[in-house]
Amino acid sequence: METFEQMLATPPSWLDASGPISNVVLSTRVRLARNLEGVPFPMRAGSSDLERVRDRALAAASAGNYLANALVLIVDEKAQSRRQILVERHLTGREFLGAGPGRAVIIGDGELVSAVINEEDHLRLACIKSGLMPMDAWRLVERLDTELEQNLHYAYSSDWGYLTSCPTNVGTGMRVSVLMHLVGLVRSNRIAQVLGSISKLGLSVRGFYGEKSAALGGFFQVSNQMTLGQSEDDIAYTVERVAGQLVSLELEARSELTKKGGHRIEDEVHRAYGILTSARIISSDEMMALCSSLRFGITEGFIDSVNLATANGLLVSTQPGHLKHFDGRDPGPDRRDRIRADLIRRELASGSRA
Amino acid sequence: MICDECGRPATIRFVETVNGEMRVMQLCGECAGARGIGLSFAPLAGPIVNLLMGFLEEAGADEPVEAQGSACSECGLSYAEFRRTGKLGCAVCYTSFEKELRPLIRRINGSSRHTGKIPSKAPEDAESIREVRRLKLDLDRAVRGEEYERAAELRDQIRSLESAQCGGGDDGDV
Repeated sequence: METFEQMLATPPSWLDASGPISNVVLSTRVRLARNLEGVPFPMRAGSSDLERVRDRALAAASAGNYLANALVLIVDEKAQSRRQILVERHLTGREFLGAGPGRAVIIGDGELVSAVINEEDHLRLACIKSGLMPMDAWRLVERLDTELEQNLHYAYSSDWGYLTSCPTNVGTGMRVSVLMHLVGLVRSNRIAQVLGSISKLGLSVRGFYGEKSAALGGFFQVSNQMTLGQSEDDIAYTVERVAGQLVSLELEARSELTKKGGHRIEDEVHRAYGILTSARIISSDEMMALCSSLRFGITEGFIDSVNLATANGLLVSTQPGHLKHFDGRDPGPDRRDRIRADLIRRELASGSRA
Repeated sequence: MICDECGRPATIRFVETVNGEMRVMQLCGECAGARGIGLSFAPLAGPIVNLLMGFLEEAGADEPVEAQGSACSECGLSYAEFRRTGKLGCAVCYTSFEKELRPLIRRINGSSRHTGKIPSKAPEDAESIREVRRLKLDLDRAVRGEEYERAAELRDQIRSLESAQCGGGDDGDV
């Protein structure tokens, strides 16, 4: 079993660019929301209820295969900085930051599968894979779910399906999110039109780390909106198909951009690389924009001294919670931007291709 | 108005909400363009729960007054509180507020009947629901194979199982 510190030593495996279509799709996440029968949902549960749910879920996880040797983090008041890191690694949602005791997170090898206990629902099971893999991620998290339900009695009705704290998750409790880098569509000003048509297909779009990451770097999260009335296979397939169409449009936009002004793009991505490898102060906004250019440069073949996995890893390792952890204390905004620049230089030096 | 980025005259006021905190930026056309602002960000609707809140607000006008004061028999959550937070208190809330929830959930999903995974420890009728799904697959195959007698048999079996499940009522979502 890894420790929390060992986990932080490397970026999550879903950023390693090993999956299909990694030039456009960073990762695919499938999560299932589940609650235990006969216990109020976390928001209305007392501390003894929460602890009971937590202990039952932990016991079920250790009795199975998928999370038997996983890292278990009991999230208590002291662990505030750890919570921030969990959010940045997409292991928990933001509301976990302010939640009281009775919470826990179970993290499998390479952060491929995980279970969050007593967030909005009693259980949130997730699988995150590199590249565009909705069906594979669903199959894996389904096996984890099936294994856990041998020892847990889920709140379920034959009519509504799995009952969840928020009615927007009821039914399958399933959310498929594909993290995409749509830099070409943003630069060719076609993003608004394209995303507008996506929302008509029942999918929702958000920025990767808030709306700014979308505006600055072209990092978007595309996910299903509907959770009821379709099977999990259908939901996974729909997201896969729509994301696939976005990929074609993005690749088209990229190739047009490089055809029209290749030398300008080559210049720009090398400038971004130059700043990343030389600057001493880099804000998170600047980082997001530069990292987007760097990725663009790598995928279009202008930059071959850095690999995609290294560029992806920077998106997570330069977030404030991670920087605070690496620094051993809260650096404050000014020092944080300096530590960020140091870390980027280090990562790019060690992540260079031999 | 001066651009926050470069100090030139700003032409765009950009308001964004990050984690519930509103920030206002003033930008010139060029800096806005560099940030991809100036696009319509309407599709970036934010968390899906916002969609629910929108529907809740719309539905509010038509809801009977007694709905506002009702509470869940199990956990005591009031309907008014659900409307405020968008979160239910327990599994029984789905029964307690069924009248209000069903149209809402149908608006979000286009359906209000689960057709996905069934847990192994599901209530008794789960087995018959699995059976209906199996029969429907058989029916598809029979129709495609032009075995009409067999198809008719299967259809009758499906009907009788389904009417037993929902007491004859139907969701219009077979």
